[in-house]
Amino acid sequence: MSDRILGAVCVAVGAGMALAARGYVAPISYEPVGPNSFPMLMAALMAAAGVWLIVKPGLRGAVMTRAQLMPFAMSVLAVFVYAGLFETLGFTVATTVMAVPVGMAFGGGWKKSLLGGISIGLLFYLLFDKLLDVVLPTGVLSFIFGGR
Amino acid sequence: MDTLQHLLAGFGVALTPSNLLVAAFGGLTGTIVGMLPGLGPINGVAILMPLAFALKLPPETALILLAAVYMGCEFGGRISSILLNVPGDAGAIMTALDGHPMAKNGQAGVALSLSAWSSFVGSLVATVGIVLFAPLLARWALAFGPAEYFALMCFAFACITGLMGDAPMKAALAAVIGLSLSTIGLDSNSGVYRFTGDNLHLSDGIQFIVVVIGVFSISEILLMLEQHHANTGIIKITGRSLFNLKELMFTGWTTLRSAVMGFVVGVLPGAGATIASAMAYSTEKRLAGASGTFGQGDIRGLAAPEAANNASAAGSFVPMLTLGVPGSGTTAVMVGALSLYNITPGPALFTQNPALVWGLIASLFIANVMLLFINIPLVGVFTRVLRLPNWALVPGILAISAVGVFSVHATTFDLMLMSTFGVVGYLLRKQGVPMAPLILGFVLGDMMEQNLRRALSITNGELGILIESPICKGLWVGALLMVAVPPLLRLLANRRQPVAV
Repeated sequence: MSDRILGAVCVAVGAGMALAARGYVAPISYEPVGPNSFPMLMAALMAAAGVWLIVKPGLRGAVMTRAQLMPFAMSVLAVFVYAGLFETLGFTVATTVMAVPVGMAFGGGWKKSLLGGISIGLLFYLLFDKLLDVVLPTGVLSFIFGGR
Repeated sequence: MDTLQHLLAGFGVALTPSNLLVAAFGGLTGTIVGMLPGLGPINGVAILMPLAFALKLPPETALILLAAVYMGCEFGGRISSILLNVPGDAGAIMTALDGHPMAKNGQAGVALSLSAWSSFVGSLVATVGIVLFAPLLARWALAFGPAEYFALMCFAFACITGLMGDAPMKAALAAVIGLSLSTIGLDSNSGVYRFTGDNLHLSDGIQFIVVVIGVFSISEILLMLEQHHANTGIIKITGRSLFNLKELMFTGWTTLRSAVMGFVVGVLPGAGATIASAMAYSTEKRLAGASGTFGQGDIRGLAAPEAANNASAAGSFVPMLTLGVPGSGTTAVMVGALSLYNITPGPALFTQNPALVWGLIASLFIANVMLLFINIPLVGVFTRVLRLPNWALVPGILAISAVGVFSVHATTFDLMLMSTFGVVGYLLRKQGVPMAPLILGFVLGDMMEQNLRRALSITNGELGILIESPICKGLWVGALLMVAVPPLLRLLANRRQPVAV
């Protein structure tokens, strides 16, 4: 990605914001500045910053090497899968599932990462849910831990 | 004498067993977080903030925890600077210049203990500074109307963009992104839903925690992927484990000067520990002249940045407590934490909620003493944590982050949003867009819009009110100077020495 692309994205977002904000009109207005003025101002500033970046790009942007791409993609995927399955699988199992690819991306073997994931999942569940009263989902392990 | 009474009452709050425990825990955690390369105070505070809220800690206890973490980070950053030559956080970059050579010369113990002492003096001087100046500033700020507040916030943004290094336009863009994000949700004045896309989860606006954890925890982890290195080069601590009186006397004035400088820089919104420590280091280097061995293990080069970065961290509490306008990314996160408790920091806080303000100030003194005693004898324990492998550490951070986000609303939507912010934050940071202005924008967005609308309601839409009062005029001039002067100075410096490194 280069600054030009970032600039173009900003201009597009600014335009989108302005388009959406046009419709934000209060049914009964009793103040001179309505709900759409501030968003409009921000849309304008966003687009202006975008134009600046297109005209005067600074950074060329680093390109990821092939060796870096794999762990990166694995980690991003793991984060989203973790977020999506957090409730369904429950904290302990979801954490274990997340810890394997993330641990491997950070140079651990799969066995170590799996073991790490299970320990983190169990330890943090006991610490937060049982000891500190921060309720966590138990998901598929609800037959052991109770809850849901 | 009023101040003294308040301070004593504050010690009453800070000395309760639970608050003492929280301060000790925060200091310990902060030291570890600050020490780990890649994680700095803002990450530590961001990750612990939702937990403090989930644990249903009272607001003053939560704030004490976060403040202790912040102070602890400034202590901890020096350990990896000295032993690994990798700064643990941004404020400790200058510490490595002389700290690491000292460790290589077999003086690691002296370097660690002396830097802990200068950190302590730095925080102490700055906390005394808070006690002296914060009430004055708060009293003055009580006279601020909406127009003055609007101008003040513009000044804060000008500071953070002007002082944030080499890409002011990108810092400004970050602030605009933050401000735009803050408009999402129900507009309380008119009942209009803005940018929600008819999504029920967004009608309340985006949770502060989701944004903070996304851009400071998830994106940090993705950035760590590219720079992770085995922490194998840790230097064994050899030689004396404590500095002697001669070294203490030799660095005394350096430490004091740097502490005062750090405090002043810290009070300015936007200029943080990084700038403070760099300024202190270069000043001391110039003052020492030919007698110094800066860069090869001069103990003054170690004391100066450490005193300054701790002082600036404590100093950044001043604008946050007195004006409600945070001076650094980390204090911006704390303002967000207070908003979870429906507390808006500002001048009125000193009169309405003195227990909170003075409890926090008193706890800064206490946490500082604790940190000194944690840091000198326990340094061996900390170096063992530095050996903790990333494959175990990172999943742990991710798990705590998710627990924090989940504990607020218990929705999968928030977790997905957190992940999205993480990836977007990563892309922006890769492109050189700093995240601290974004958080500042997100925190101040609502206040800024409300004050603008209130000010313009007074004059029925006439824009003149924004520049009418002398305070407004001063703030606008200050803002212009903040934006215009740093690039000019840089231009001049470049012209003078064309082959600068």
